[in-house]
Amino acid sequence: MPEHPTATWQAMQDGNVFYRRQQLYSFPAGKLPDLSDYIVAGCKYGGPLALMRNNTKLIALGRSTPAFTKSQIQVYSSAGEGLLLFSWEQAKIIRFGWTFDERLVVLNEEGTYRIYDLQGDYQQHSLGGETAESGVVDARIHENGLVALAGSLSLLEVKGWEGGRPLNLANPGLSEPPSSWSIIPPDINISRHIEVLLSVDNTIYTVDNLESIDQRLSQGPFTHVSPSPNGKSLALLTFSGTLLVVSTDFQRRMAEFDTATVSHAEGQAQQVEWCGNDAILVTWESIAVLVGPFADTLEYSYLGNIFAVTEADGVRVVSQDTCDLIQKVPSSSLSIFRPGSSSPAAILYDVWESFSRRSPKADESIRSIRPELAAAVDGCIDAAGQEWEPYWQRRLLNAAKFGRGFLDFYNPTDFVNMGQTLKVLNAVRYFEIGIPLTYAQYSYTSPSHLVSRLTARNMHLLALRISTFLSLKADVVLKHWASAKILRSKPTTTGSGKDAELGADDEVCAMIVDKFKTLGGTDVSYAEIAKRAWEVGRTGLATKLLDHESRASDQVPLLLSMKEDHLALEKAVDSGDTDLIYQVLLHLHKHLTLGTFFRLIEDGGARLAPASRLLQVYAREQNRDMLRDFYYSDDRRVESAVLALDEASKMSDPASKISAVKSAQKFFSEDRDRGFEAKMMDENARLLTLQQQLEAEADGKISFFGLSVNETIRVCILNGMLKRADKLKTDFKVSDKRFWYIKLYALTEIRDFEGLEAFSKSKRSPIGYEPFVRHLVEKKRLKEAVPYVARCDPPKRVDLYVRCEEWRMAGKECKDRGDKGNLQQLIQKAPNSLVARELEQVASSMK
Amino acid sequence: MSSAEESTPDNDQPLDTNILREINKKALVDALNTVNGAKTLVLDPNLAGPLSLVTDVALLKHHGVDKMFWLEAGPLSLATPNVVYLCRPKIKYVKMIADHVKRHAKESLRYNYTILLVPRTSTLVSRLLEEEGVLGDVTISSYNLQLIPLTGDVVSMEYESAFKDIWVDGDETVIYDFAQALITLQKMFGTFPRMLGKGDHAARLIKLVETYLPQTRSISTSDTLSGLSDKIDSLVVLDRRVDMITPLLTQLTYEGLIDELIGIRNSHVELPVSLISPPPNAGITSSSGPSTTPTTSTSNTLRKESKKKYHLSPTDTLFTDLRDLNFSFVGKKLNQVAHRLDEDYKASRQAKTIPQLRDVVGKLGGLQSEHQSLRIHTGLSELLVPMTRTEQFNKSLEIQQNLLASYNISEQLTAIEDLIAQGAEMELVVRLACLASITAGGIKAKVLENIKREILQTYGYNFLPLLLSLSAPSLAILLPNPPPTSHPDLAAAAKYPFNSLRKSLRLLIEDDPESLNEVENDISYVYSGWAPISIRLVQCVAQKGGVLSNPAETGNQADGKGGRGEKVQAHPIIGWKGFEDILALIPGRTVDVDMNVASAGGLISRPAGKTTTTVVCFLGGCTYTEIAALRWVSKQNKGRRFLIVTTGIVNGLSIIDGISGVQKSVTSKDAGL
Repeated sequence: MPEHPTATWQAMQDGNVFYRRQQLYSFPAGKLPDLSDYIVAGCKYGGPLALMRNNTKLIALGRSTPAFTKSQIQVYSSAGEGLLLFSWEQAKIIRFGWTFDERLVVLNEEGTYRIYDLQGDYQQHSLGGETAESGVVDARIHENGLVALAGSLSLLEVKGWEGGRPLNLANPGLSEPPSSWSIIPPDINISRHIEVLLSVDNTIYTVDNLESIDQRLSQGPFTHVSPSPNGKSLALLTFSGTLLVVSTDFQRRMAEFDTATVSHAEGQAQQVEWCGNDAILVTWESIAVLVGPFADTLEYSYLGNIFAVTEADGVRVVSQDTCDLIQKVPSSSLSIFRPGSSSPAAILYDVWESFSRRSPKADESIRSIRPELAAAVDGCIDAAGQEWEPYWQRRLLNAAKFGRGFLDFYNPTDFVNMGQTLKVLNAVRYFEIGIPLTYAQYSYTSPSHLVSRLTARNMHLLALRISTFLSLKADVVLKHWASAKILRSKPTTTGSGKDAELGADDEVCAMIVDKFKTLGGTDVSYAEIAKRAWEVGRTGLATKLLDHESRASDQVPLLLSMKEDHLALEKAVDSGDTDLIYQVLLHLHKHLTLGTFFRLIEDGGARLAPASRLLQVYAREQNRDMLRDFYYSDDRRVESAVLALDEASKMSDPASKISAVKSAQKFFSEDRDRGFEAKMMDENARLLTLQQQLEAEADGKISFFGLSVNETIRVCILNGMLKRADKLKTDFKVSDKRFWYIKLYALTEIRDFEGLEAFSKSKRSPIGYEPFVRHLVEKKRLKEAVPYVARCDPPKRVDLYVRCEEWRMAGKECKDRGDKGNLQQLIQKAPNSLVARELEQVASSMK
Repeated sequence: MSSAEESTPDNDQPLDTNILREINKKALVDALNTVNGAKTLVLDPNLAGPLSLVTDVALLKHHGVDKMFWLEAGPLSLATPNVVYLCRPKIKYVKMIADHVKRHAKESLRYNYTILLVPRTSTLVSRLLEEEGVLGDVTISSYNLQLIPLTGDVVSMEYESAFKDIWVDGDETVIYDFAQALITLQKMFGTFPRMLGKGDHAARLIKLVETYLPQTRSISTSDTLSGLSDKIDSLVVLDRRVDMITPLLTQLTYEGLIDELIGIRNSHVELPVSLISPPPNAGITSSSGPSTTPTTSTSNTLRKESKKKYHLSPTDTLFTDLRDLNFSFVGKKLNQVAHRLDEDYKASRQAKTIPQLRDVVGKLGGLQSEHQSLRIHTGLSELLVPMTRTEQFNKSLEIQQNLLASYNISEQLTAIEDLIAQGAEMELVVRLACLASITAGGIKAKVLENIKREILQTYGYNFLPLLLSLSAPSLAILLPNPPPTSHPDLAAAAKYPFNSLRKSLRLLIEDDPESLNEVENDISYVYSGWAPISIRLVQCVAQKGGVLSNPAETGNQADGKGGRGEKVQAHPIIGWKGFEDILALIPGRTVDVDMNVASAGGLISRPAGKTTTTVVCFLGGCTYTEIAALRWVSKQNKGRRFLIVTTGIVNGLSIIDGISGVQKSVTSKDAGL
């Protein structure tokens, strides 16, 4: 039976508060190198430690640790397992630290930083111009960004890890680097912006992006500046060893403690870390002292050097042979296990123990807490989450289950969830995995965060099982797995040459696709995996994987970078997304020679026709030369001609316009079926030339150029150039009817009614005389219209007279034709009595 | 009568298309709010109309828009540090924007430039900006303006150039955007249980909507809401190419005729100011909203011509009664309404007691607005009447009717030539020539050449590309007979089975004008005796009986008034069944995708008697007559509504103008009145 939970407890504040030191892992001494020789960065949430040799310290060669001269960074899990080792070739490392998603950020003095994942793959970014010159002196790295102290002693902030441009913070105006400094990350600061705390002389400067403020302290300078996990308090350690706790707004001083009183401590304190929000752990070599809010202390001694990492709910301490979690005993545990506790949860637990011992006391006791039973059950469930040992977890959950049986209504969700969660936590706490995640940390970081941490360690199976167990989507895991699979499954050497490689590709592809299908990872982007395959030089595999991608917008960019031009274009066309087609076309146009580009599209035939048409739409507006070449290379005479015409329509210079029209004519004439069009363009060119002449004749006073044949004739008539008009008629074979209409309209327009009269009599009108009447009436020339009525068809005359408002004539017409009915209608429609009377007279005269 | 129809005690609400307006409005506000502080809005002139249906100036001002300009070439001077360009991703606009940025840089003026592309960002635009060297100075974002509700049962993309883009340029962007819009619709109302389509591009559209599905499904595996829609029973997609005859004809409904003769743009018509707002009643119209008129030179010129935009609003009950009537009955209807109003006023004057007076006061506002709208529509129809009395108008109607009846085709062609000689409008002539070509299966080569030559000489040789486009294989609506042997695809396209369609789909209704009365005895009333093929095809899916015989007629025989109680329950959607042979005749692919089968077990059993909506989708635009005809169809049965989704509203004029590239705005058209 594991030791009782209270065995690790130690009382503080006269027994009101308990702290516990929970040993998470123990390992043989020497598994980790001697921490005193190293610079260490610990990752929160039970994450790994990164170590780099401290070059400022002398080191005896031939000790158990491997000797190396180059900069190297080693990463160990909390259980002391080596996770990663890589060497650093670049300029001197200034600082390294961990991101929220457990990647290691390494910053060098030139302002370059790399972000390593746990497989050693990295992305590199730079702080940019300023730091490249002055260099970086120091930096602080938090989960979602960093603050760098440049050589010029100004502060730069980088937000996020996507390589964003650094922002300048307010300049504190330092003359030398601060004796120590720290940052309050944006997410725990009240202003939601980052705050930098600089220990300068005997005071502290607080700097954010707007201003730098001297907080006017007098005890400085400080060797350590350390903000609490909730960002509300600040622990400061002076050179003389006085530990001060102040609020971060520097309005309240909360505690003061002289570390010199600690008996076993020797020399300078190494770390000042927070344990929760009201206790501080100060470490020296092989000893850690926990200082409570009322300056009470607890001492913990270790073998060799130690390193402490502040967690949200405690502090993790790594020594030569052990990894501990020191934390305040959570209230739920306290209420159950505290000696003499009479809380309902404690009683419930007690009852359950009695019950399992078959003691009759159980029944009586449970009655006594009946009203608070629900709270007691909740308390047991919560306490189970706080225990490290599965033995105690199980006992507490059993107690909860027991108590639940006495409740009529109880929502079992919490119980079930806790059971599930503990199963997951116990699995990842196992020393081979080495993530000592507490329940509180797990709740804070979310299950999917844990899954991605596992995948980052290539622990796909566990990650997948946890995903399935918690019904999370398996996509992330599958994607990572597939990428890893591709990396690992280098083409086998057993087969011979290309065939073997192809075989391996097929195999890997089938394996990946199969896995996705069976595990339901339908949302996984095959394109991303294919990209990975392509990056490691497995083009064949990449193509195969890409075939499974259903989103064309994801396929196409990769196909383009793989130089699968034709395929990329086809996929884009199939998607129907014209923007995607443009993307491909523009890319190809840029990267291929014009000839190859055209051939690619033309050879595509009907399949690529939409792309070809889009190219034309684009080129017509943006790149006409290319379009001309395109049509020419494809022998598209009609399109070439239309293009020439389109250009002609935009030209104002007569000569070039005519030549453009002529070239259109030439294109048409080269196509057997376009005889008509060629003839028309020939006419067009002739007309334009003629119009030039006409303009010249009129000394440029009349503009003809660009008018249609009809309009040209009309303008001629308007300007009295009747001969010209007649000539145009014959030259362009204008039909009689059309000519007569043009002339009718034109002569009416210039009110040349004599001319119109003469014209109407020049020969028998091919359009009759009704149009004369109608047009003149329309132009309100009723008087002029009347004479033509008599020359129209007899049946229509009455109506036409009426239109000319010649009622008497209309009546007469009726009489002549003996049409009484019509006459009666006229009388009805008569505009006034006078007319009506006249018409009635006519009517009576007919009798 | 339609208002009575809508008030049937049917507990199934129609699909709420207003959500679409709200979505569009919110997206615009969000897009504007991404830019902090006061901003100048520079607007694509083609977007002003659609936007006016979504928002108003007050809303824009509320979200920091200080000033508005049209996006046009030339300098742009700004008073705010932020500029927001709102435009479609057209190359010419990008050039204008780049020009602005460069000018400002030269004058060392610094502004924050944001480009909101409608409906989505485009690689092309960023590439062009890069080529112009200004990509670094601008922020490119998007405003996803998709479907805009025009009325409760019509939603439109309001894409003006959709027809030309697809069938002349071969630019299929519209199809993709349209598919995205339909997918949005699916997200709101559920997956279309069945998708039917006719035409190659319709097939493409359905394919795009269909292939999108698997992804949506996998994303929301647990989400049961995204299953098959229980409100929509099917999607019917027709591409405009399937029925080119309809838009070539002159629309004869009230709304259709306004569109033909005056022009309706984005539900707005430009009318003389005197007609819209006589001084005393000005307040009433302003509520129905003249559109946003950004303060620019264009709107100034409008004022000079003293024309004003008037919103043909679906909330105008008189208009909703009038819009779908054959124009010949509009006068009668107006008369009736006038009489009724008069009596209502009289009644109000006779009110004596306090409760009576209270009643009157309550009604007064309604009476006034009704009176106002009566005045406008009376004025509007007075504008239309003389236009329908012209020789040309009647001649062209005669030619249309004769061509549809295949009566003496050569005489009609001569008549068309006469119209050219008289100098009739180019669009009219081309429409008639195309109609002749389709109905007669091509025009004799020599006659056609002569007509073309007359057109070129009369209107200008610059219309040659238009004629070429009309006879190109993708359109093939102006062809010689026999078709040229060199293009086999042309020969195939020329085989539009006009004669057999006319018979099998009962297109030409030979009825005497007497029976063409208010009963509106068939959808053919919209063209006074001709049924639009497109709507007959919809009937093939949604009202199979209506194709073969007239449902209203049988109802009328039983009861003179055709009471509501006797309406037949609409039959469930069973695809093209029964009309497969006819559909096979029409060029273009026929599609029938049954999602019930595709999603196993997802079958929704619809309770009988529940009203469902059939979404009818016009790719390339629809006419007002088609909308009217569909409304008529939905009135004949109970249990089925139609939601019309279109790329835009078209007519023959807008199609021909679109292809010829001659920018004829409503303004210039009106100038000739």
